Amino acid sequence: MIYLDHHAATPLGEPARRAMEAAAAAAWANPSSVHAAGRAARALLERAREQVAAALGARPAEVVLTSGGTEACDLAIGGLGRPERVVSWRLAHPAVLAPCATWESAGVPQLLLDGLEVPADDLLEPGTLLVVPWVGHETGNVLDLAALAERAHRRGARVVVDANQALGRLPFRMDDWPVAAVAIASHKIGGPAGAGALVLRRGLELAPRFPGGGQERGRRGGSPGVAALVGFGAACGALADRLDAMPRVAAWRDRLEAAGIHLGGVVNGAGPRVASVTNLSFRAWKSAHLVAALDLEGLATSAGAACSSGLAEPSPGVAALHPDEPWRAASALRLSLGPEGLDDDAIDRAVAILERVVPRATI
Amino acid sequence: MRILVAMSGGVDSSVAAALLHEAGHELVGVTLHLWDAAGEQMVGRCCAPEDRDDARRTCEHLGIPHYVLDEREAFRRDVVEPFLDEYRAGRTPIPCVECNRTVKLDHLAQLAPRFGCDAVATGHYARLVPSETGARLLRGRDHGKDQSYFLFGLRRETLERMVFPLGDLTKDEVRAEGRRLGVPNADKGESQELCFVPDGDVAGFVGRERGPGRPGTLVDDAGSVLAEHQGVEAFTIGQRKGLGLGGGPARYVLRIVPDQAQVVVGGATDLFGAELEASGARWLAGAPEGSFSAEVRIRYRHTPAPATVEPGPEGFRVRFHEPQRAITPGQAAVIYRGDEVLGGGFIQ
Repeated sequence: MIYLDHHAATPLGEPARRAMEAAAAAAWANPSSVHAAGRAARALLERAREQVAAALGARPAEVVLTSGGTEACDLAIGGLGRPERVVSWRLAHPAVLAPCATWESAGVPQLLLDGLEVPADDLLEPGTLLVVPWVGHETGNVLDLAALAERAHRRGARVVVDANQALGRLPFRMDDWPVAAVAIASHKIGGPAGAGALVLRRGLELAPRFPGGGQERGRRGGSPGVAALVGFGAACGALADRLDAMPRVAAWRDRLEAAGIHLGGVVNGAGPRVASVTNLSFRAWKSAHLVAALDLEGLATSAGAACSSGLAEPSPGVAALHPDEPWRAASALRLSLGPEGLDDDAIDRAVAILERVVPRATI
Repeated sequence: MRILVAMSGGVDSSVAAALLHEAGHELVGVTLHLWDAAGEQMVGRCCAPEDRDDARRTCEHLGIPHYVLDEREAFRRDVVEPFLDEYRAGRTPIPCVECNRTVKLDHLAQLAPRFGCDAVATGHYARLVPSETGARLLRGRDHGKDQSYFLFGLRRETLERMVFPLGDLTKDEVRAEGRRLGVPNADKGESQELCFVPDGDVAGFVGRERGPGRPGTLVDDAGSVLAEHQGVEAFTIGQRKGLGLGGGPARYVLRIVPDQAQVVVGGATDLFGAELEASGARWLAGAPEGSFSAEVRIRYRHTPAPATVEPGPEGFRVRFHEPQRAITPGQAAVIYRGDEVLGGGFIQ
């Protein structure tokens, strides 16, 4: 199988795998326990926290470890207090849109911006919670976070960043911009699923979503999944290698995209984007059918966000970027890649599979 | 051969897949998600999440790939909305015909080559035999389970791609094969209700989807008003229960006059008719020239009855040799010669 669904989950990288194997043997105890076994688990957990913090130039105390990116987004959007309004983008991941919608149900006005639209100044007043899906999960389009954060800071809005698809693809430090919190996940950077973090600027009050036993300094209750978080920490430790690999990944992506265009595909999204993805629509195909047909030939791809039921909804991110051409969302194919498990030969074989399968459907 | 198998999660399609797998075919399991289940009552119907899980489990058991495809939009547009229109128009539609034709089998037959498959298999109780003029559709050997009635509308190209592994088996044999082959759900129950009206309350469903019905009256053949009703969708030809007429001799719905919201009732003998007109004709073995003798089935649980069939430009007329009970507009009239399905249409 050639795996081109790295935006859903990256293959487990070697650093994470090795760290988790060691942790599974040594860190099964509850890290809140006082005994030696608990302390051993605690030591590994705190080491992971330090690695996450270091990767983002944050302090360990600013890192709230979570079960993944969705929880981190939910914690930031729901836990920083009731805003006066919520502003985000339609192309955001459901992990962002769902907690924003929860505020709306609670009577907080919500505005979702179209495409890569920039919010007007009067939307950035104090009391606004601006949730920036920095990198769109479907097309990889990049919002100008530096400019948005700067304007929001000047006007008084609070900024939360969904950096789940940015981590390991764009270099950044917490100090790069004046933002309140950044949500990240392990399984987008060669770590295991089931681990993530919210990096929270010092001094901000964060109400836990599940208070439980008051873990994570009262910001996130529940016993942490130490082994997965250790894997996450190790993956963060290898983040520089990942960023170094991006030009190579971009070259593979460009080769796949050129093949797709040659087969009649149109590229979705516009403007700057990360190296790890191309999103193409083939009009004669429904997304789900093409994904299945490619899978049968050994090429793993996706239509958009992987959702629980396995059903492909028309791709909402693509719909948001191309509102006048609804067929694009219904026909979208996301090819996403990264450094793990790929080489020039695999890309050649992926192109051959596309060339074999895509022409089976004609309008 | 690489075969696309439609997997509902029920026993029949699971056993169909297991038999083809045993015969050495390469399979691709596909489950169509057609309708969102509402509540526990959906379990055991082909669209409950549990049924999709059962389909997935069977495919895992067989070691074949499995995909769930979202066809909810097509199902609502091509099956449910016309069904609602028909009921509101005082007819008793048979949505399974259109569902099998467009939403399921035509669709899967078009999909098959895109998935690199040569054929489409289902768990229908029907048989196909090759002939010089193409595949002929026959009743399933188990006449109690035979589903050829629902398949008369298939396009020629679709029929040529179909495989029905259960056509020569009885339901008991299918369950036995399921147990022999270790199919995970071999003893699962099944329902006869429509998949999207699992509680059987069609009038309630039509009301929820389309709002309250138009009140009207039940009248006898002479036009005397016997009772009132809340919408014609609660009635079907031949219905005796639930008319709200109290005691007295048994009375049955004879016909429905939708533009007056009128339901005409009468005695059992008045239910019999010897003629029907059908529209939307489909001819599986080519359009006939001139009238011919055949057997015609007017609902799923009806024994095909001898008749003369006169083809017209778009439909056909049927004259039964003996009067038939409750000829119901909206149901399919399917034409057989012996076990072979020649074609069919919808009763007007």
